[in-house]
Amino acid sequence: MRRVYAAGVGLLKVDERWEQSIDSMVTQVVDGLTEVRPWKIDSIYVANAVGEVLQSQANLGAIVAEDLGLVGVPAVRVEAGGASGAAALLAGYQAILSGLADTVLVIGVEKLSDATPEEAVFLPTLSERYDYVGFQGVTEAAIAAMMYRMYLERYELPQEMVAQFPVLMHEHASKAPHAQYQFKTTLENVLSSPIVSPPLRRLETTAPADGAAAILLCSSDALSTIQHEQVVELAGAASSTDVVFPMEREDPLKLNAAARAYYEALARPGISRDDVKVLEIHDSYSILASLILESIGYSELGASGLDVKKGIYDYGGKVVINSFGGLKARGHPLGATGVYQAVEIFLQLTGRAGACQVDGARYGAMVSLSGLGSSAYALIMKER
Amino acid sequence: MLHAIFRPPVNWRHRRFRYGLVVWRCLNCGAVHQYATRICRRCRSNRVAEDRLPDRARLVTLTVVKNPPVSFEKQAPYIVGLVEFEDGTKMLTGITDCEPEELKPGMELERVVRKIAEDGESGLIVYGYKFRPVIKRR
Repeated sequence: MRRVYAAGVGLLKVDERWEQSIDSMVTQVVDGLTEVRPWKIDSIYVANAVGEVLQSQANLGAIVAEDLGLVGVPAVRVEAGGASGAAALLAGYQAILSGLADTVLVIGVEKLSDATPEEAVFLPTLSERYDYVGFQGVTEAAIAAMMYRMYLERYELPQEMVAQFPVLMHEHASKAPHAQYQFKTTLENVLSSPIVSPPLRRLETTAPADGAAAILLCSSDALSTIQHEQVVELAGAASSTDVVFPMEREDPLKLNAAARAYYEALARPGISRDDVKVLEIHDSYSILASLILESIGYSELGASGLDVKKGIYDYGGKVVINSFGGLKARGHPLGATGVYQAVEIFLQLTGRAGACQVDGARYGAMVSLSGLGSSAYALIMKER
Repeated sequence: MLHAIFRPPVNWRHRRFRYGLVVWRCLNCGAVHQYATRICRRCRSNRVAEDRLPDRARLVTLTVVKNPPVSFEKQAPYIVGLVEFEDGTKMLTGITDCEPEELKPGMELERVVRKIAEDGESGLIVYGYKFRPVIKRR
């Protein structure tokens, strides 16, 4: 069985990068991979969700290959909504496992600051069926809000049980130099921020962000031929899909695609979820943090909020979630987000997480969603 | 500036669903499709036939869009919700002619045809279904 390794990573601070376009962000982040030499790349996967709409730029494979001085290398753009980055990582993982590639460069890039506020609402909603959802002016946030309300009613919970997730995320991001929002916040602030769609508040969602992150994946053969400083094994990766409109699922509060992808990914190295000490989850809306943790089995149904209060998901707890602030506070540059998650796990497992370091983690994992769980990706990384 | 794309052929293609809730129903499992299909998306049966959803449905849950997407800027805030027909089919819809406080889960709503959006000053004016609280008639 071949093995897949990550031999180098790079990321930019998630920010509003007014002076940079997609090509400039890509070259800057890949330049940060200088610790890995020499450059012999068999394949490039570029994750990007909305570039052809917002920047009128499709065909990012060829464009990025040229930007990097790698004309001739096969390159393709991967789009899977908010999970594009994770989908590109899965493609790279499969390419190496198949034996057709030994070195794969995975890049996630997204530039949302070009959008007006109305466009920033419109773009994530493209992951839902347009003829049925977007056509009526229904937004992804509005559907998330309905799931949120259903959750609070079913388990008879006060809103703070969900709204405390953003507080924890900002706490973690306050020590993360690459996070978009490095300020701390309080439950009171979250619950008094403007309503987006009741009960969902502004501070329970994400804001437009620009970002780029990159990972060099390689096979064990390639690992012996390239210079690198630190290595992590990509020990498992999987994906699954679900009914697209959450309210048509058997249980709208159960993210089955996330659960299937997560357990399939864990099965590759044959570990249990309790072996994972660092977990990156897709909290584009606060309610998704609750639903993911309950769907993949870390919390009982309706109990994720209680578990946050007990400190289970913080430093010193059972598993640290979103150690750099997650989508909420590190930021959510749509198509780049999955690559950020993987880079952050790499930093954790190689002891380079700075003030965000989680001690003693051998395994890290990530769960990435597109839409509201209509597709899900999971990756497991192992210390080497 | 982007705007929602309301292309005439798309609007024309969806006219029967959007104006009359004509759907394609699986004769095997009952699942409803908003588009003409030859394969049921739930059970993969190919016994699918045209049907029409009733004009009344019950409200399941609702919210309000305060941050609108492109082409809906002038309408916000507006109510959207989930309704359930007597056969159990659930559908997303705009809700009109009332305030959010007047709406309670379980209450009966009726279908109306309303303007959905307009595509700039010279483009299409798009119509479609919305639901509203049932108006009692003598």
